[in-house]
Amino acid sequence: MADDPRSVTAPPSRPDRNARIAGMVNAAREGSEDALGQIVTELSPLLWHVARAAGLSSCEAEDVVQTVWMRLLSHLDGIRTSAALTGWLVVTTRREAWRVRAAGRRQLPADHDWLAALPDTGPGSEEQVIIDDQRRALWVAIGQLSRRCQELLRIIAFVPHPDYQAVAAELGMAVGSIGPTRGRCLAKLRAMLAG
Amino acid sequence: MKSSDAGSSEAGPDEPVDAFDLAILDGIREIFEQADPMPADLPERIKFSLALRDLEAEVARLAAEEDPRLLAARGAEQSRTITFDSDSLTIMIRIDSNKDGTVRIDGWLAPAQRREIEMRTAADTLREVSDVQGRFAFASVPRGTARLSVRPGEQGQSGPGRPVVTPTLIL
Repeated sequence: MADDPRSVTAPPSRPDRNARIAGMVNAAREGSEDALGQIVTELSPLLWHVARAAGLSSCEAEDVVQTVWMRLLSHLDGIRTSAALTGWLVVTTRREAWRVRAAGRRQLPADHDWLAALPDTGPGSEEQVIIDDQRRALWVAIGQLSRRCQELLRIIAFVPHPDYQAVAAELGMAVGSIGPTRGRCLAKLRAMLAG
Repeated sequence: MKSSDAGSSEAGPDEPVDAFDLAILDGIREIFEQADPMPADLPERIKFSLALRDLEAEVARLAAEEDPRLLAARGAEQSRTITFDSDSLTIMIRIDSNKDGTVRIDGWLAPAQRREIEMRTAADTLREVSDVQGRFAFASVPRGTARLSVRPGEQGQSGPGRPVVTPTLIL
């Protein structure tokens, strides 16, 4: 699939990124603030979206993301690969978000506030208009999915492609014998976009 | 599973992820980056917390933060109350603005106990000791990032031996 023309961005090749992240985890374990900082910069947006997708307020999400990074320090010994790191961070953030939500005894918001309005990118080129139309169609389709599918797809969309399989497996999404499969949520979304 | 259109045979849930799926996921990512972005300064605040790391420390969690709108309704818009919980300790703080642009922090520890308390800010570290009722105060703390750290209790004293730290606050 790497040479499919529809591929929009070429993700860094798997061995490069994996080796780079594994190297940074090793350096962080040995006390390198710089390596740890790079990991934080790279993966914090993912954790933010995991926490927000679980229904936390902005304040709660910030607090949970900070807490998870602090907890990682005492778990670095067991983490050797990029996939293990991403998997641990996603699962721990999700669990912590549930805990915070349960402690607040709050129900999930009935409707999806982030779906209220698609931010307008303003007038642009003809090309921009086409992109905006596609985005609006995607936005509408996501809004029709179940809450669980919305959450899973939002998480998976921020997972670096090489770690997709490990995280999908952790989240109980379908994983085939030779690699990640599309899964029910993505298949449904795709069918909506095609229809 | 219904198969109503021509594309459905290759769009089933058990098929491998293909480039079109990845393009959809890229689109989802762009939407959420735009609609609900992570606060831009969050990674810097996290790095600040991690730089002050203390591997032995218990990390206190945000337990409650009074809604600023309720405070404003009471005419106390400059005051904020935050509660942190850890396994061994609850830390409650009230943040008030001083006229000179700094903030005053009044805090309580529960269970009440004498402990050394550090307020680590970007510039330096302030130290106070709580009284036997667990009360402590920092009269003048510069605005910006800060983090509270309750030092371990002395040996022979009741209470835990581990330090307790809060996540980074924005004052």
